[in-house]
Amino acid sequence: MVFTTDSHNAFAERRFLIVDDFQGMRSMLREMLKSCGAKDIDAASNGNEAIGMLEKNKYDIVLCDYTLGAGKNGQQVLEEAKFRNLVGLATGWVVISAEKTQDMVLGAAEYTPDDYIVKPVNEATVRARLLKVMARKETMQDIERALKSNDYKRAIALCDEQLAARSPYTSDLLRMKTNLLMKSGQNDKAQAVFEQILAQRDIPWAKSGLAKIHLLNKDFETARRLLSEVVESNRTYLEGYDLLAKTLEEAGELDEAQHVLARSAELSPNSMMRQRSLGEIAQKRGDLDVAEKSFRKTISLGEFSVFKTPGAHLGLAKVCAEKNNTSEAIRVLGEVHKHFDDPEAALHAKVIEGAVHSKSGNLAEARKLAGEVAAMVKESAARLPAHITLEAADLIMGTGNKDAAADLLKIVVQNNHENKQLIEDVKKVFVKGNMEEVGNDLVESSLQEVVQTNNKGVALAKEGKLDEAVTLMRNAKSMMPNNKRILLNLAYAMILAMKKSGRDNSMEREARECLERVHKLDPGEKLYGEYRAMLEALASS
Amino acid sequence: MDASQASEAPDMTMFLASSIHDMKNSLSVLTGFMEDSLSDAALREQPIYKKMAPMFYEVKRLNDNLLELLTIYKVDRKFYPFDLAEHAVDDLMAEIEHQSGTLLNTQNVQLELDVQEGLYWYFDRDLVMGVISHALNNASRYTRGHLRLAAAEVDGFLELRVEDNGGGYPKAMIEEGIAVNRGVSFNTGSTGLGLYFSAMVAKMHKNQGRVGEIVLENGGKLGGGCFILRLP
Repeated sequence: MVFTTDSHNAFAERRFLIVDDFQGMRSMLREMLKSCGAKDIDAASNGNEAIGMLEKNKYDIVLCDYTLGAGKNGQQVLEEAKFRNLVGLATGWVVISAEKTQDMVLGAAEYTPDDYIVKPVNEATVRARLLKVMARKETMQDIERALKSNDYKRAIALCDEQLAARSPYTSDLLRMKTNLLMKSGQNDKAQAVFEQILAQRDIPWAKSGLAKIHLLNKDFETARRLLSEVVESNRTYLEGYDLLAKTLEEAGELDEAQHVLARSAELSPNSMMRQRSLGEIAQKRGDLDVAEKSFRKTISLGEFSVFKTPGAHLGLAKVCAEKNNTSEAIRVLGEVHKHFDDPEAALHAKVIEGAVHSKSGNLAEARKLAGEVAAMVKESAARLPAHITLEAADLIMGTGNKDAAADLLKIVVQNNHENKQLIEDVKKVFVKGNMEEVGNDLVESSLQEVVQTNNKGVALAKEGKLDEAVTLMRNAKSMMPNNKRILLNLAYAMILAMKKSGRDNSMEREARECLERVHKLDPGEKLYGEYRAMLEALASS
Repeated sequence: MDASQASEAPDMTMFLASSIHDMKNSLSVLTGFMEDSLSDAALREQPIYKKMAPMFYEVKRLNDNLLELLTIYKVDRKFYPFDLAEHAVDDLMAEIEHQSGTLLNTQNVQLELDVQEGLYWYFDRDLVMGVISHALNNASRYTRGHLRLAAAEVDGFLELRVEDNGGGYPKAMIEEGIAVNRGVSFNTGSTGLGLYFSAMVAKMHKNQGRVGEIVLENGGKLGGGCFILRLP
């Protein structure tokens, strides 16, 4: 690499932001950038100031120190900037830090910096690294643009184009391509790419990717074997630990799952997400001390993060209640209302508050809250996550309003008729209200109702009555917006209808939304990729 | 460790690691300052310039040693974020050349770069840069004015060579170089750390049953000592 006037121009054309809490470092970096040719340089001394400048201006390159004193750290500034779209796809983000940490190298994939420079920083390094980042950004720009507009097909085609031209970013491109294949439901093709890479070289991300496909196919044995190999030879590879923990959890091996998560949380002590997962699994196992500690850590780590969610507060409240610390549980639930402007979280907090009172023997208060919850969920129950509806039903059942509870349980069953574990949990709530038989009957008839609707829709489609099929499934969807089978059949009916009578933008959008919802509910669903490809074929015809 | 034990015997390794981190920060300010001053053309004519050159070498050495200590500590505690990724070899070489520019200039050493074109390889960039920079620093001390930095694919390995035109390694050193790959060390004092670090980095790089290694030999294109890092 020769540093010519070209490189000088590359710096002169771009706008830079330096973020560092240390005045000496800010002016040193500024001088370095200037002698590389940069003219347009701003600086911020803390996270909030940086966010303020990113709100106002468009930067091409951000150089951000990892430690920024009190408040947000460098990673949190990056996450917030990306999450709030304050930086575009073309912006290069380089983290500067006294030492390399695992968090920087392998955080959540979308929120990793483009590069990191370990101190001491000198001009040669800054110049070389920034030029590389700029060149890479230029190469990936089109692909990322296609990705942003959800045009996976085009993004994959662009990856192939670059790969064929023997790009210097081969491994980035392969990683991107497999990611895109999985996102668009083409897991078989992704698997082939992973296997091809692994035949050449043992690469942790490729092996983890392959394991992920086996996990989605519920082949826990193979996933577990591959991931154990990954972490065995890469002792600090966080993604490997995360996936291994997930595999173990799904396979029902909770003890080992917690053990693995504890290791990954230890390796990345600033990861809010890992602390929360550790808390959740410890809570599931009844390891209340670890659960409490992890949830408290999650809350403190999340203080300045855009990704904070009420999950840790809610989990902590439950743990405190289990430990018979009623007053602390109530206090923590109060925090939810204070820190989160989120109706779903407020409802969930109320459900838990009712359960806490019920457990501590304050039945009058529990009954009052149950009444409020019943009124709140009436409209929204079908759209709520099943576990919240289930908990609400449990509270309402326990405080005596059996009919209202049964209505909610029916909604849970209808939206999740293929989820055996959840249906078992539903039955337990019926047992709690001494309604075992009524419950069994209701579960049975609700299941039949769903199956019949689906069959009827399929029959109509077969007879060529596609409009009728679409109408029927649409109605079913409004009752059961989270039922995977209904969503799939509705999408399929719409695809057939469009094949017959031509494209229709609003129907195409509706079908796409159904499929995306399916993918979110179950990333392993194979029909998703198949139907998605059909939709794409329609769109390009 | 329980609490009573902790109050009696502090965990020395923790202390050492955090002080190293701290010292590294101070040194990085110091190197930055010296590098800046040394590249100032006006200073070249001043008598102080001649004194600063060896000072700079020593400061670089301190920095390298601390970095190596800290990395060894982290690897030992299974905390080092080993980051195996594909890199352009010529980019790496260019970066190393630029990084060691000030040092070699002040010592009037010529560096010749010989890199096979279009070569990409998987390695942890920071670790490999650490090893090669250290080897260059070392060679700059023993060379008679010429160094050669070469990179090529040889028998399925990436071979990085640092060669000098000095008197070559003594026999004991070369044997030490063989032994350190096998984890046996005769511990020859000050050279121990750098060699141990380099061998550790080499061994961390594995691919399909093959493991990296370091080799010390005499000869090469310049006829002096050769330090070789081979990565699978």
